[in-house]
Amino acid sequence: MARFSGGLKPTLRLLVCALVVLGLLSLLTGAAGFGVPDPFILWQIRVPRTALALLVGAGLGLSGAVLQGALRNPLADPGLLGVSGCAAVGAVGAYYWGFAAAFAPALPLGGLAGAALGCGALLGFAGRAPSGPSLILAGVALSAFAASMLALALTLAPNPFALAEITFWLMGGLEDRTLMHLWLAAPPIALGCALLLRLGRRLDALALGEATAASLGVPVGATLRIAAAGVALAVGAGAAVAGGIGFVGLVVPHLLRPHVGERPGALLLPAMLAGAALLTAADLLARLGPLLLGMGQEPRLGVLTALLGAPFLVVIARRVAP
Amino acid sequence: MLVLVFWLVAFPAWGAGVVSLNLCTDQLLVLLAPERVAALEPLARDPSLSFVAAQAALLPRVPADAEAVLRLHPDLVLAGDYGAQTTVAVLRRRGLRVVQMPEAEDLDAIEAQITQVAGLLGVPGRGVAMVADMRARLAALPQAPAGMTALLWEARGYTAGAGSLGDAVLRAAGLRNVGTGGVVGMETLLTHPPDLLVTQTAPGYPSMATDLAQAPVLRRLRHLRVPPALLICGGPFTVTAAEILARGAL
Repeated sequence: MARFSGGLKPTLRLLVCALVVLGLLSLLTGAAGFGVPDPFILWQIRVPRTALALLVGAGLGLSGAVLQGALRNPLADPGLLGVSGCAAVGAVGAYYWGFAAAFAPALPLGGLAGAALGCGALLGFAGRAPSGPSLILAGVALSAFAASMLALALTLAPNPFALAEITFWLMGGLEDRTLMHLWLAAPPIALGCALLLRLGRRLDALALGEATAASLGVPVGATLRIAAAGVALAVGAGAAVAGGIGFVGLVVPHLLRPHVGERPGALLLPAMLAGAALLTAADLLARLGPLLLGMGQEPRLGVLTALLGAPFLVVIARRVAP
Repeated sequence: MLVLVFWLVAFPAWGAGVVSLNLCTDQLLVLLAPERVAALEPLARDPSLSFVAAQAALLPRVPADAEAVLRLHPDLVLAGDYGAQTTVAVLRRRGLRVVQMPEAEDLDAIEAQITQVAGLLGVPGRGVAMVADMRARLAALPQAPAGMTALLWEARGYTAGAGSLGDAVLRAAGLRNVGTGGVVGMETLLTHPPDLLVTQTAPGYPSMATDLAQAPVLRRLRHLRVPPALLICGGPFTVTAAEILARGAL
């Protein structure tokens, strides 16, 4: 096999191939066994699950790349910085109090609202303080706050089963997702990704520093706001249907930088595709747990991404902080 | 006058009543001797969980907190095998009479518990009548077609396995339970469908666990919904659940 030498076009081709393979494998794997299942199961259960893994992963990967570029911080990630957590709180508020039962789009809208507040808080802080460890601390604080709000909301929820579902909201999962979840999440995630993909040039300019970027005619404030809106859309809707999944946005840009270069703008499309591939692979692994290892339940998706991402974070943090 | 004073002084000595700290014992207490209730724990008044919610709403409630229970000076405390264990330990150390009842897993255990609680409350006659009524209704149950399989699909995909209360109810209705007690996802359910899928009707407010039973993909299966209040605890209402299942299976 030829050694992969990098470059944008080859990387993109490799990622697209990986996506096709993973997507097919995902459609062929499930509790009913390997291979093509009953068409009803294929269309009603496996297609939504595969599509959601691709979409949510794409949103997370792209959001991570944009946040790292916009905040000029290699440790930025929507999960780590609390945006996913805030989205989960919003979604929980919409779901457990019956708003989503009355009006289905209330679920992703709740996630969106939560993520928007979280993003706003984060970027508001970034505007005043220099990027670096202090931003990460703010993100960690927001993340902890969101987790405690989540626990509080679930404790107060009218349905007595709610608190037991905290593992889903904290650690994510895609089991038993249906076409309805796909219809609810796909438009906001697609819109968010569309907004974020157009920020390439502006992020390149921002990498030179805010003052330099402004002198080049790049509207810094507007760029940060569009980034916040895009991340809120992509991550908010994703967390509303898949729970809190972190580390995808952290790991993916770092894996791609050696092949694609340091330019933030060049990373966006590959990060989106790689995020989709990573999450679909993780979801495949989750399904293989009960099938091959005899597990009683699927492992949480966020657990699998954290198993990969947490050691990664330590390695990166060591490189960043002397 | 002296008689009145004596009566007012003696009344507390009769015992201020019975406190129940567990949903299942709450229901037996209210059904057998509502006049002796000092307080029930709050879940008893939730109509989605408790068969006696309407009556429990009119009775005092107490959280599973030792201080709160002690303030009521009960002469008997009924509790379950889990939940409120630390409260039970404190109450026992304080010298209160605490009787713990395990979850009833089959109809014989339910009858035994009814008899036991009726005895503790001093109303054995009512216990005997309740058991007799249960037996009569069970004998009159229509039986499901022979060999019909059923699966009780509970919150978060858990199934009722052999030896559980759900299993006992399915068997009482003449159904064959194919559940093992583990988790069954939607895909598995659709690949190996039971003849009858039994779920508990969702309570007023949603949760992912209870929403699973509403998924549109389940329309393919023959689906029967039972009020959860009838299946969570064992009691005379368990026979009502069996009646619903037996009639639904026909």
